[in-house]
Amino acid sequence: MATTIDRPVTEPEPEPEQGRQGDRPFRPSPLGWLARAVLALALAWLVFVFPLSQEGFEVQRFTTAVIYGIIGLSLNVLLGYVGQISLGHQAFVGIGAFTSAYMVSVQNQPFWVAVAAAAAVGGLQALVLGGASLRITGLYFALVTLSYGLVAEQNIFQVEELTGGGQGQAAPKPAGFETDWRYYYLCLAFLALVLWVDWRLMRSKGGRALLALQENPRVAATFGVNVRMLTLFAFVVSGVFAGLGGALLAHNDTFVSPEVWSFNLALVFVIMTVVGGLRNRAGVVIGSAFFALLPYLIDQIGFIEDAVAAIPAPRELTAELAPLVLGPLLLILTLVRAPGGIGQQIRPIQRWLGGHRFDLHDHGPKEVKVADVRA
Amino acid sequence: MPDVLRDRAGVALGAGALALIAVVLIATGEKESLVIGVISGAAYGLLALGLVLIYKSSGVFNFAQGEFGTIAVYVLYLLHFEVPYGLALLGALVAAVVFGLLLERLVIRPLYDSSRVILLVATAGVALLAISVEIWFGDAQGKTIDRAFPTLDRFSILGVQVSDQRLLLLGVLATLAVVLALFFNRTNLGLAVIGASQEPTATELVGISVRRLSTFTWALAALLGGLAGVIAVPDSGGFTPGILTSAFLIPAFTAAVLGGMTSLPGAFLGGVIVGVIQAVATSAPLFDFIPGSAGTLVVFVVLVGVLAIRPQGLLGRAA
Repeated sequence: MATTIDRPVTEPEPEPEQGRQGDRPFRPSPLGWLARAVLALALAWLVFVFPLSQEGFEVQRFTTAVIYGIIGLSLNVLLGYVGQISLGHQAFVGIGAFTSAYMVSVQNQPFWVAVAAAAAVGGLQALVLGGASLRITGLYFALVTLSYGLVAEQNIFQVEELTGGGQGQAAPKPAGFETDWRYYYLCLAFLALVLWVDWRLMRSKGGRALLALQENPRVAATFGVNVRMLTLFAFVVSGVFAGLGGALLAHNDTFVSPEVWSFNLALVFVIMTVVGGLRNRAGVVIGSAFFALLPYLIDQIGFIEDAVAAIPAPRELTAELAPLVLGPLLLILTLVRAPGGIGQQIRPIQRWLGGHRFDLHDHGPKEVKVADVRA
Repeated sequence: MPDVLRDRAGVALGAGALALIAVVLIATGEKESLVIGVISGAAYGLLALGLVLIYKSSGVFNFAQGEFGTIAVYVLYLLHFEVPYGLALLGALVAAVVFGLLLERLVIRPLYDSSRVILLVATAGVALLAISVEIWFGDAQGKTIDRAFPTLDRFSILGVQVSDQRLLLLGVLATLAVVLALFFNRTNLGLAVIGASQEPTATELVGISVRRLSTFTWALAALLGGLAGVIAVPDSGGFTPGILTSAFLIPAFTAAVLGGMTSLPGAFLGGVIVGVIQAVATSAPLFDFIPGSAGTLVVFVVLVGVLAIRPQGLLGRAA
């Protein structure tokens, strides 16, 4: 059992590495810079240009992938920064979706007001649920959110005025962003905003305190960190992100129906975040997008489809079901073998792009074990 | 306060609440929900028992507990066309235990040193894997299984007809209560499990392998989950993939929390209380104003209420 596994953590930038000749830091050659620029451009093309070459329906899938990135970051705040897990995140996202659709379709409010309302409702839910379950250990938050998810599914989404009964609620795309690709860029902008907020928060005093808290709540409390307030604050941030993601999802599909927000979806959200790599923004976004695009990848890429069809099973594994089967397998593999997830695997490439030497074994600074202090 | 006194206070609180509900229900003519509630509560209690066992031994909330039952139900469904019902039941329970052992061996043990939340994520992932494989190999349609005892109207309690299958459920629960109480208080193995849950280091020091006990606990919990599935599901009419996770797991967790999360008798008591409350909420006209299924909302309120007012539950130790 004593296999050592690199557990990456968010740490300050490592000190500049030593070049081969004495103390001069490493600088890539012009050719090296060119190679890095080519890769950066290729990535930019993949994100900004490639989705537009697709059919309208496929662009929506890419938009979903971007929004899943926001949802993944929302869970990352809980799971990565606070060490709490929500098994009812589909409810937070779903209520955000319905709030926004309701504001636009029933209250005739503009899109921006509706999105703000969805984010506010998301934050409020997280505050109430977190406040109720924080009295005891963190495991209970998972339980309360799981139960809340079912309540959302069976009670809240049955409120006819909010969800339009069984038929669902219409959620038209906002003025100025009616076409699929314009809406895609809008969601990219929102993702950038969420990434920026997340980055700034984690660099603030509160963010550093959160990381200390995650490492060891008792020690953090000894240093004057207000554990309860900070945890609640992180819950609210997570809820706001989730509500925002839900609203964007609603207007992407232009329609919200009550059936899609199931327990399975909540687990897909958790899985994509963990597989992406906790506490690693790039990893989380890539992991989330990967799970959102998995049905598309299976449909589009021939050999994946063949491989899936070759699995001996009484029935064919459909593209919709594949994430539900593959996800848990990837999750367990990630937890047991590579807790850093995708973020840990891509770190050498990230560092190389940033003008460092390519080091395949660079898995980030090692986590300091504080288990001994734990009472 | 000595353990016995504290336990008595909790038992008195729980039994008192239950008796009050029972009196009110009989007085208002809601006898049916009382009987149905006790019976479905017995199934919740079975599942909650497994949750408590695993929480005591591994310190983790096992979100795959419901799937032990669903797997057993699927195996029972597949087998009962081929072989006699009793044999199919046996096969179903074996399948549940094998699933529990595999889960312990492949997932829980490698994560022995991880944080509790990571373990929790892993069990939830296993639950999703089981559900999606059920959808994949079967289909999302509902199926029905015959009852082990098809007679429906032999007995009646408080004027409510109770099928033989439901009597079986109550009987199994009562028998298990006695057997488990004896097991944990009288046998070496049972005492070792309790010891390992309270003081793992001391248990290791007297020469007991805590890891082997953990394997045993997971197998026992899987057996209890499987029992809950194969007895309760054929009686309820039909099943879909993940039935025990979607319909039984949350009430069972609520029951375990209500019972104190570490108390085995508490899990039984909590199961019955949650079952009755849920049955009343589902049938009483008082709750008609709630959109959708009132039972779900009421169970949620009970869970949050217990956590807010008495987090140590009825019979648990103060957290």
